[in-house]
Amino acid sequence: MAVAAQQAGERWHGGTCPFDLGWRKLMMWIFIITDGLLFVGFLGGYGYARTMSRQWPDQSSVFNLQYIAVMTFVLISSSLTMANAVEAAKRAPRSAALRWLLLTVAGGLGFLGMQAYEWAHMIGEGARLNGNPWGDPLFTSYFFLLTGFHGTHVLLGGIILATTTIRWAKGLASREGVELAGLYWHFVDLVWVFLFTLFYLV
Amino acid sequence: MAAHADTSHGGRLYWGTWLTLLALTLVMIVLDGLSMPRSIFLSVVLSAMLVKATLIGAHFMHLRFERLSLAAMVVVGLLVTGLVLFVLIVPDAIRIRAMVP
Repeated sequence: MAVAAQQAGERWHGGTCPFDLGWRKLMMWIFIITDGLLFVGFLGGYGYARTMSRQWPDQSSVFNLQYIAVMTFVLISSSLTMANAVEAAKRAPRSAALRWLLLTVAGGLGFLGMQAYEWAHMIGEGARLNGNPWGDPLFTSYFFLLTGFHGTHVLLGGIILATTTIRWAKGLASREGVELAGLYWHFVDLVWVFLFTLFYLV
Repeated sequence: MAAHADTSHGGRLYWGTWLTLLALTLVMIVLDGLSMPRSIFLSVVLSAMLVKATLIGAHFMHLRFERLSLAAMVVVGLLVTGLVLFVLIVPDAIRIRAMVP
C-alpha cells in the first residue's frame, strides 16, 4: 500500500515537466508531429508509385526549376521573417514584430500566388488528376495531391498569420501566440524542403 | 540543449541559417543541371535536404534550445516512421515493377 502511494506520488501530474513547455506549445508540437506523419505517409505513397513506375516523367522537362527555386526562396525567406517576428515579439517594441509579421504574410501570399500560377500552367499543359501528356498518370495525381495539400497548409498558415498580425496590432495577441503561429509556419517551410527535393528534383 | 527556448538567439543565427538554406538550395539546383552519376547526385541532394530540414528544425523552430526529450520525440517519431515506410515499401515496389510486363 505504501509502495503504491509512493509510486503514485512519483507520477507526473502535469505542469511543465518533462518537456519544460506550457500546454499550448506542447499541443502545437504534438499537432506538428501528427501532421508531419501525414506528410510522411503521403511521401511514402509517392515513393511507392515512383519506384514501381516505368514511365515516370523527367521532372526537369516538365517543371521550370528556376521558377520552383524562386518559390523556395520566397518560402525560406518568409521563415526568416517569421523567426525575426518571434524574436521581436519577445524583446523589441510591438511595431518591430508587426513589421516582420506583415512581411511573413506577404511571403505566404507570394508563395500561394506563384503556386496558383504553376497549377494554372500545368493544367493548361494538359495535367489532370488522372492523367497527363508526359507519362505515368500517377505523376500528376501526386503532383496535385502533394502540392495541393501543402498549399492548403500555406493557406491556413496565412490565415493564422493574418489573424495573429491583426490581433498583435490591436494588442490582443500574446508573445506565445506569435511563437505558436511561427512554429506552424516553419513546419510548412520544413515540409516544402522535402517536397522540393523528393518531387521536383530527384 | 544549452539554454532554454526563452533565451535570445539573436538575428545573426537566423540570417546565417537563411543564407545556408539558400546556398544549399542553389547547390541542389546547379547539381541538377550537371551530368553526374545518379548515385552521387542522389547522395548529395538527399544529404542537403536533411541538412536543410535539420537547420529549420533546430534554429527556426528552436528545437536546439528545447529539452532533449522534445527534440527526440519529434525527430525519432518522424524519422522512424519514414524509415519503416521506406524499408517496407521500396522492396515491394521494386518487386511489382519487375512483375509488370
